[in-house]
Amino acid sequence: MPVRWRRESVFYLFALPFAGLSIVFGIWPILLSMEVSFTASATALRRVPTFVGLANYITVLGDPAFWQSLWLTLVYAALAVAANLGFALAMALLLNSRFITVGRTAFKLALFLPVVTPDVAGYVVWRWLYDQSFGAVNAALALAGLPRFGGIASPDTAMLAVLLAELWHHAGFYMVIFLANLAICERALEEAASIDGANTWQMFRYVVLPQLRPAIVINTIYALIQFLKTFTVIVVVTKGGPNGATNFLSYYAYQFFDQARYGEATAMATVLFVLVLAVSMTVYIASERGRA
Amino acid sequence: MKRVLAYAVASLVSVAFLYPYLWMLVSSFRTTRAVLRDPLRLLPEQFDLSGFESILQVGDLSLVRAFANSLFITGTSTALAVLVTALGAYAITRRPRSWAFRALRYGFLVTMMYPYMLLVIPVYIVIYKLGLLGGYAGIILFLALGPIQFFLFEQFFRTLPGEVIEAATIDGAGEVAILFRVVLPMARPIVATVAIITFLLNWAAWFPVLVISSTSDTWTLPVALLNLNGELGTNFQGIMALSVVTTIPVAALFLVAQRRVMAGMTEGAVKG
Repeated sequence: MPVRWRRESVFYLFALPFAGLSIVFGIWPILLSMEVSFTASATALRRVPTFVGLANYITVLGDPAFWQSLWLTLVYAALAVAANLGFALAMALLLNSRFITVGRTAFKLALFLPVVTPDVAGYVVWRWLYDQSFGAVNAALALAGLPRFGGIASPDTAMLAVLLAELWHHAGFYMVIFLANLAICERALEEAASIDGANTWQMFRYVVLPQLRPAIVINTIYALIQFLKTFTVIVVVTKGGPNGATNFLSYYAYQFFDQARYGEATAMATVLFVLVLAVSMTVYIASERGRA
Repeated sequence: MKRVLAYAVASLVSVAFLYPYLWMLVSSFRTTRAVLRDPLRLLPEQFDLSGFESILQVGDLSLVRAFANSLFITGTSTALAVLVTALGAYAITRRPRSWAFRALRYGFLVTMMYPYMLLVIPVYIVIYKLGLLGGYAGIILFLALGPIQFFLFEQFFRTLPGEVIEAATIDGAGEVAILFRVVLPMARPIVATVAIITFLLNWAAWFPVLVISSTSDTWTLPVALLNLNGELGTNFQGIMALSVVTTIPVAALFLVAQRRVMAGMTEGAVKG
């Protein structure tokens, strides 16, 4: 019995550092965050904070700026998910097609390199690419005889500018997931469909797309989580502007944190957490039901 | 014809994706005035190094220090992440029926669903309570925990052949000996994959570093870059130069290990 016990206990020893980190930097902060969201900001870091009940949630939810920010976040997330997945799928189908033989890896690398490029560096470059006087974007448009792009300077185009920069950073990841899924698709089905006289669209819609279901589900969930909490690009490129046009929830919450309004910041964090969780669960459950 | 079209589209998109790198590199060697005159030039008129000279010291932070911070923080947090996560995932997969391990796994997964950016806010409060604010330890420990590392290790340990471990047990080997002599040699490729991916991710991490730091002494390259970019009186050439310095090490690492990185990140996402 002691020998067996010693044999078992060694596993607990192995898991101890992992458990320690998970508790200190995972479970504890989340619980603490929920606690802080019920306290007055000025006392949040004290040993005995003053509890104010739902006051922070009422402040946050009662502010029209919050609802404006929430609406912007949802619109942006929907557009960004559609744009990224559409683009990534199109590129994956293209690179997987029989027309591309040599150079597949080079194309894949070009699209994946931004994924591992430090996001701050990538977005800093985009911020200047969009610049009205320095930027290559408007210089190139002028060269091609096209109208100027307002980029991050205009409230009408700032969201699009942010979306393009994020697409550059993230789309390669979704593409690689699609490619991995395409690699395990049944070629025999396509051949059979082609013998039966299916055209390219029918082939895509009824043969390829159903087999891509796993990648579509994974990518949708990942992209939703990603774009609901869009943050770095905002800090680097727009700071929520111009005129609040890109003031998404996570940046809005961060501003509260930056002003040491911890109570409001954590209340908003909790709201966003619930939102992200609810949306990704809904997609997951919908996809499970669709399968049955 | 279709072939030509396919190549044309693929090349055009690739060039568009790579162009920001070229522009960054070229702009770092051109004076701000030259860029203003002709933003699209594909090669610098001459290699002007004043941008790089201007970032050798930014405020209280020297470039050497920021680079050393990046290397030190990324290196140690990567080593710690591999060690801690591998051991944790190994224990959890070897004893899947233990209630404590099940609770740990579940707790960890819920944690990882909490938006990273928002987790940093309460982590700041935890680090404050632990008295680790402003030091390296808090940053390194926080960066040592991530979902993709756990998923990759868990996935690997699940595929370990049980017979090998049983045989070693019958031979009288203890669990520590099994881990080091039997499991570890088999785990080398996955350890390398996780280490490289963690290095890439942690090199890019900026928000936890900024939040946990109390002075610029512990800033890494991305944080220094963010700060420089936010300064008044823009040093455009310096910003491009610092972007180059921040990007090149990880871009090089990725190109060397590209197959491993792409396969690993795909697997980590699909299994998670």
